[in-house]
Amino acid sequence: MTTARTWAPVAVRSAARRAARDPGGLAVSAAFYAIVASVLSTLWRTATHSHGGVIAGYTAVQLTWYFYFAEAAVTALNPRQIEITGDDIASGAVAVDMLRPASVVGMRIATEFGRCLPRLGVCTVIGSVLAWLISGAPPRPVALLLAVPALLLAVLCNLAAQHAVAGSAFWVRDARSAWFLYQKLVFLLGAMLIPIEALPLWLHRIAEVLPFVTMAYVPARLAAGHVEPQLLLLQLGWLAVLMVAAVTVFDAGERRLQVVGG
Amino acid sequence: MKAIRATMRAAVTDAWANRSAFWTQLAAMALNDIVWILFWVLFFGKVGTVAGWDRTRVLLLLAMVTTGAGVVLGLLSNARRIGQLLVNGGLDAALALPVRTLPYLLVRRVDAVNLGDVAFGIGLFLVACHPTPERAALYVLGATAGALVLVGFLVLVGSLAFFTGRSEAGDLGFQAVILLASYPVDIFSGATKALLYTAIPAAFVSAVPARLVDHVTVGDLVALIGAAAVFVALAVGTFSIGIRRYTSNSLWTRA
Repeated sequence: MTTARTWAPVAVRSAARRAARDPGGLAVSAAFYAIVASVLSTLWRTATHSHGGVIAGYTAVQLTWYFYFAEAAVTALNPRQIEITGDDIASGAVAVDMLRPASVVGMRIATEFGRCLPRLGVCTVIGSVLAWLISGAPPRPVALLLAVPALLLAVLCNLAAQHAVAGSAFWVRDARSAWFLYQKLVFLLGAMLIPIEALPLWLHRIAEVLPFVTMAYVPARLAAGHVEPQLLLLQLGWLAVLMVAAVTVFDAGERRLQVVGG
Repeated sequence: MKAIRATMRAAVTDAWANRSAFWTQLAAMALNDIVWILFWVLFFGKVGTVAGWDRTRVLLLLAMVTTGAGVVLGLLSNARRIGQLLVNGGLDAALALPVRTLPYLLVRRVDAVNLGDVAFGIGLFLVACHPTPERAALYVLGATAGALVLVGFLVLVGSLAFFTGRSEAGDLGFQAVILLASYPVDIFSGATKALLYTAIPAAFVSAVPARLVDHVTVGDLVALIGAAAVFVALAVGTFSIGIRRYTSNSLWTRA
């Protein structure tokens, strides 16, 4: 088994190059992102204007930047990643990955991360331009700079968690419905649809202690102008936990995998 | 017509064959819809009303869009895949059959997951939208007209693949119309709002039908029925013109 330092950068780079060579796919992703993020930010901006200018501590300008970044962090990923990985496990296709002298889950996360990078870049640029045109300059440029690494960490946290969940297919053989439930958890508890400060206190408390906040809320909160670098540490902590979980699930699953035929 | 009915029966039987998957998918969609209700409850709990919309009106909007879109995406599931079928050669198998191609394609596949939307929409209307015989009749009329607008729009944007050779416009059109139909139309203004009544007719899929249930006006009724007729005619026309210039991809797949 070679170390991740050898194969991970290669996997990320080659997947990113492949994704960047599909301008049609990128254009559709970008257009879809622009529509979703614009609708959500319009909804919240309208609500803010009819609510005295501030909701849950956010102004209309802050909420505009918030939703463009929250949506970029989530749209960059394939929403059905859990289903795809689960199908590969259930069908036995994952056995091919096991022939490589590299961690199966590590290679899959690295490849998918590379695939997300062009989409994330395009969405972030488009989102920033739209947010600027619609509402004005970013509330605090320093916080916006922090949001850039936060976006990358958000995607990594999300991918690690998705693979940990998809690994359940080693036992249950079907993770198709899981992606639906998982996605909704990111939408609500990850604060993609509604900032956690706007949730009722009991739900806010639950969201705070779950990893979903690292996947949309953190980059969004930073882009909204809150200089809170400790949020990056929160992401790093959860990333370590989620990666360990994904590796543990896959290691245990690979030991019990039986594939008939080929 | 007999062949189309038989095709639809076969598609329903196909979806129903794996009972556990059928019910799991139905439950998954119901759960998805419940999350959206939760979002709107939380949202309006925080902000009160927005652009004249409150929780009750949005729940009616949600009931309308889940019912209309559920019928289209569940029973006429291929409506959203017309572009992909054209590009991937899925049309070839249908062309060889002695039936009209577009109706056959539309009824060929049933998606159980979206039938969960229909059940959910009806349930939501009965529970949260103050049903009376008059409102129920308007709800059925509105959902039917909204479904016609939606299927017309999806076939129209999917058929663009005949001319462009790519299916992305259809995919994007599908995502856009469903998304925009799920939000109150009055939060938008100017050109965006005009777009929702014309090029991407999301307003006719949900907001106008929902408005009819609350307050019938001749103007809304005529506009809704007119929009349904226009989009169905445009879809049939575009598909018919497109299929005349279609050349096979020489791929043989299941439509």
